[in-house]
Amino acid sequence: MTRARRLLEDLSPTCRHAARLLSHSMDGRLSRPQRIGLRIHLLLCRLCRRYRRNLVVLRQIMRRLPEIPDSSQAGGLSVGARVRIRTVLERGA
Amino acid sequence: MSARPTSDFSPAAFAAGADAASGAGLTWLDEHGDALYRYALPRVQDAHAAEDLVQETLLAALSARDRFTGVSSVRTWLIGILKHKIVDHLRAVARLGPAVEVDADADPFADFFDHRGRWKTAPARWQRDPAALAELAEFREVLARCLASLPRRIASLFWLREAEGKDTEQLCQELQVSATNVWTMLHRARARLRACLTANWFTRDVAP
Repeated sequence: MTRARRLLEDLSPTCRHAARLLSHSMDGRLSRPQRIGLRIHLLLCRLCRRYRRNLVVLRQIMRRLPEIPDSSQAGGLSVGARVRIRTVLERGA
Repeated sequence: MSARPTSDFSPAAFAAGADAASGAGLTWLDEHGDALYRYALPRVQDAHAAEDLVQETLLAALSARDRFTGVSSVRTWLIGILKHKIVDHLRAVARLGPAVEVDADADPFADFFDHRGRWKTAPARWQRDPAALAELAEFREVLARCLASLPRRIASLFWLREAEGKDTEQLCQELQVSATNVWTMLHRARARLRACLTANWFTRDVAP
């Protein structure tokens, strides 16, 4: 893709490109044309604004997960694993 | 919490020699093995890896047992060790495999956008606050299944970035992947997770 075309794409993104820029903006800094293009696109596009809100919620949920003790339905150690670990502990201690 | 260690876990018992030591390890395995496993499984998405992590955690705990102060409960202490093991494991997984898999020829966004780059299906409105959702075991089940449906490498990277809060530059260096690749993988993870959660949770039983 030529430089000019990329610039044009950044300044006037499709929803597909805007979604990419949105994600990118959560992990690093956008270029100036990208910021301008994304801002204008979001002003005009209700669906991409909704997408952005979803991504923010997703991030907030993920940030809380490491603090949550465990997942209830995951079961437990299998008998085989338990025996294996027991052996290792007896040997390794 | 100020749970005092029980006598079995007191420093004196630990110092009593190898028998007591392996005894402590076995007690931990009995009392906390399942909890450790349940903590690890949704994070690593791999039963064998989760079992190995439990084992490594208990071994590490045994060799560091004189550093256990009894300020926290044994469970909390073990989980703390496990957390580090999980992050190491995810790093290793995210490092594996060719970085170019992100540029596979099949278009990963074909399900979301039409050929003119417009949404095929409008993103749904997500209600509920994130804090309450994260607390909800049923929701976490769905989230775990959605994470499991991602390529493992992408899921690991996503976990490190979003749950553990590692910054992108750090991840690029540790995993030796370009920033562009990291951005692309994270973008893919978000797009697919969002779609998966929308389908399996947010639009599952909406009241009109």
